[in-house]
Amino acid sequence: MTLMDYRERWELKEYRYSQRLRRRILVLHAALLALLVGYGLGFYYLQVVRGDEYALLAENNRLRRVPLPPMRGTIFDRNGEVLASTRPSMNLVLRREGLREADAQLRRLEGVLGVPYATLRARLDRMRDRPPFEPLVIREDVSLWEVAKIESRREWFPSVEVEQVPLRSYPAGPAVAHVIGYVGEVSEAQLATQGPEGPLQPGDLVGKTGIERALDERLRGQRGWKLVTVNSLGRQFGEARIGQEPVNGAPLRTTLDVRLQRALVEALGEEAGAGVFMDPRTGGILALASTPAFDPNLFASPVTPDSWRSLVEDPRRPLHDRAIASFYAPGSTFKVILSVAGVETGTISPAAVRYCSGSIVLYGRPFLCWKKGGHGAVDLERALVHSCNVYFYQLGKALGIEAIARYADLFNLGRPTGVELPGESGGVLPGPEWKRKRTGEPWYAGETISVSIGQGVLAVTPLQMATMISAVATGGFLPRPHVCADVAPAPVKLPLADDTLGLVRRALQQVVEAGTGRRAALGPIPVAGKTGTAQVFKRSAGIDADELPKHERDHAWFVGYAPADRPEIAFAVVVEHGGHGGTAAAPIARRVLEVFFADRLPEREPSPALIAAAAFARSDPAPAAERRGGGHERAAPSP
Amino acid sequence: MNGPRLLRSLDLTTVVVALLLAAIGVLAIASATMDQEGRENLWWWQVIWLALALLACLVVVTVDYHGWAAFALVLHGLALVLLIVVLLAGREVGGNRSWLAVGSVSVQPSELAKWTTCLALATYLARRVRAGIGLREAVEMGLIAGLPVGLVAMQPDMGTALTFVPIYLAALFLGGVRWKLLVAVLILGVLLAPIGWAHLKDYQKERILTVLDPERDPAGVGYQVRQSKIAVGSGRIAGKGFGNGTQSRLNFLPAHDTDFILAVIAEEFGFVGALAVLGLFYVLLFRCILAARSAQDRLGTYISLLVLCWLGGQIAVNVGMVLGYLPTIGVPLPLLSRGGSALLATMCGVGLIVNVRSRRFVN
Repeated sequence: MTLMDYRERWELKEYRYSQRLRRRILVLHAALLALLVGYGLGFYYLQVVRGDEYALLAENNRLRRVPLPPMRGTIFDRNGEVLASTRPSMNLVLRREGLREADAQLRRLEGVLGVPYATLRARLDRMRDRPPFEPLVIREDVSLWEVAKIESRREWFPSVEVEQVPLRSYPAGPAVAHVIGYVGEVSEAQLATQGPEGPLQPGDLVGKTGIERALDERLRGQRGWKLVTVNSLGRQFGEARIGQEPVNGAPLRTTLDVRLQRALVEALGEEAGAGVFMDPRTGGILALASTPAFDPNLFASPVTPDSWRSLVEDPRRPLHDRAIASFYAPGSTFKVILSVAGVETGTISPAAVRYCSGSIVLYGRPFLCWKKGGHGAVDLERALVHSCNVYFYQLGKALGIEAIARYADLFNLGRPTGVELPGESGGVLPGPEWKRKRTGEPWYAGETISVSIGQGVLAVTPLQMATMISAVATGGFLPRPHVCADVAPAPVKLPLADDTLGLVRRALQQVVEAGTGRRAALGPIPVAGKTGTAQVFKRSAGIDADELPKHERDHAWFVGYAPADRPEIAFAVVVEHGGHGGTAAAPIARRVLEVFFADRLPEREPSPALIAAAAFARSDPAPAAERRGGGHERAAPSP
Repeated sequence: MNGPRLLRSLDLTTVVVALLLAAIGVLAIASATMDQEGRENLWWWQVIWLALALLACLVVVTVDYHGWAAFALVLHGLALVLLIVVLLAGREVGGNRSWLAVGSVSVQPSELAKWTTCLALATYLARRVRAGIGLREAVEMGLIAGLPVGLVAMQPDMGTALTFVPIYLAALFLGGVRWKLLVAVLILGVLLAPIGWAHLKDYQKERILTVLDPERDPAGVGYQVRQSKIAVGSGRIAGKGFGNGTQSRLNFLPAHDTDFILAVIAEEFGFVGALAVLGLFYVLLFRCILAARSAQDRLGTYISLLVLCWLGGQIAVNVGMVLGYLPTIGVPLPLLSRGGSALLATMCGVGLIVNVRSRRFVN
């Protein structure tokens, strides 16, 4: 091999290597071009082919539809006094979007506000499935002081914000708890019922009970929305654009009188019971209360589990509205129905006299009068005034259960009255057919005797009793109870002879003037009424009534109206385990009547209820003007 | 070669293209950060870094690339020392210990290491490789590239570590590796992948899985990819205009001033803007090829081509990431992404190209 050969071979090798390098550079160049063209096509696809779609996504990113909650309508009483109103309040919330160092922030919250870390952590974890723009409410209705505590440590709490929300408040508190009700967040079930096109959205406040629920749609209003430009943390950025203004809920004027509500709840005091007061001429409810009551303000913000549980688990059932949803045997108040039925059917003559020896044997069984020695000779009026059982046993026997039930039904006993309030009960109006359906057993004649004096399975609500006695007060016009001031359902004329109710009314006035209802007497204002005692099953027999354990005492009733000659107010009061109607229930009715007739009663030793009412009247800003529109002639003195 | 002659044959085009790209980057950074609290001055810093980088570029151009090659291993060793210092005394940002604080500025030695790796591999190829690449050459070059990869991976900055791989593969390819060996290396890589997978952190695995299934975890890892695609797509043809990109300005797009700067450009300047950037990159990389073809010797060719693969690899990964084709690994876009060290290193790389191109005529 020569040097030339070697050089040639080296050059050949070099040449080949250069050729290969050149080829590889070409490959690189091609790869580079392919890459850039490919990416160019990628941009083409995203920006030209799917550009509009992504532009929309970017808009959705940037713009957030923020709901504008409407202000719920204010609820007034008949005098323009506020029963429920909405005020702006502040909530401390934790933004869940872009939330970093959640644990650190929660722990600092525990330090600054005292909200336990574990509680917040658990609530935050529970919200995992909710949309991220829904914040976690740390504390509701915070004071400015608490806001200041957070704001002064801004850098500790990057995700904590103050949110303005409308808050429902009930100035009269427990006095109107059951009739007004309360609001709460709409339930999943309600959302499901309204369907996807419904007006409600999760988080909306709706009425849960009482008037708040009955007239929810009217009070609720319509939510609006605005478009807000936000950054990736959900913080507002620049001006908001109103999409739709919210429509505030309509105000609602009720027939209620908050002074009577207060007097009634105060008079019921610690007792479990209920009272309904209404204008017998219109059916407008003046006061409707149940005790024990609760403070509806507790529900204005989602309740803490503890206070909720204590309300739900309270054996005295404070959430239950006894005035419309509990039913009791009417006791002797039912004798009003028997009297009407007896005269109307011609079963008895009002003047016919029966003899009461203190007991009577019917169907081989002794039935007792409440007065051991007996009432002696009694006609219908005396029997009603003194509530003689023996007289009505015989009348009931003569009438038979069908006739009794027919007249009870005429007066709307044993079925709902149709008041707007949710949760009204019908009660029980027994008869042979009812019993066959319920138990499969026949009706026993002895049961008619029990029903004759308002005992047995017969059960009515206080509202039904107030309606019934209103019809008596107005001479046969059965009103339809309501709480909205702007509806005026016409009373139903009952097919009764004028004389019949006239006789009953005379007797009922006597009950208060000389009979069992004397404790309801109101000086110059004549009151008419009927006491009643609903028997409660007793384990401890033979003990004097006053020494019975509380839960075995009878339920006390008092129903009536005033003034007896030109009735303006009718009522029914029941006190659970109160004992005698005359001693337990009648004084409660009187204390409410005292407030109702306050300006017609002479200045005497004022009762506590009167003092309270007077203090209330002084704080009333525009009583005269409101009353004029009230449709109730309170100021006119009776002749 | 003396001064005047260098000036006469100076490859100004490449410098101008690089400066254009850097200027677009500064604009996009300004738009994305100018009205963000505490970040108003970031774009000024980028301008200052650009000035420094231009200066460094001039220094690189001035000294003949044979001179740089003579010190290639020394320089590479220096970079490795810095990488070790970073591991021991570096500043930790976002879980990665990649930063070396010098006074009030921080530098990333890993960026410098990319430059020295290119230089060292090119020098090795030019001096040692005569008759193709055998196993020994592959291993020795593997050491040159592997040491910085290992050190960077320990920071742990997987994205940056990965950018060394195309440089190494390109070196094998250009050095005339036999196809069999190249395939063997690739197979080895595939075989090692499961082991590497096991060493990846959960979030890194998530990122890779998100590419395969973009709807996966839209609030977490998928978020960034999704927001990037929304930013790009919503720019449509003409873009929203300078300073009107809602995705970046309202912070929906994370890392919009660094890894996702191209999404900002695509959002504000549309398809036209994106194409312009891709076009400028093509011109820049084509200049590398021109320099490689016309270089006076192999060393110049290798240097040009390795710098091409370094920049091309990063562009490929970054743009792929912005378009949602590749996992979100923190690889910046050369010349455009905010970051002083990267800009400095890239401009030094550009300096090498200009150096080779300007000295294409043998004395």
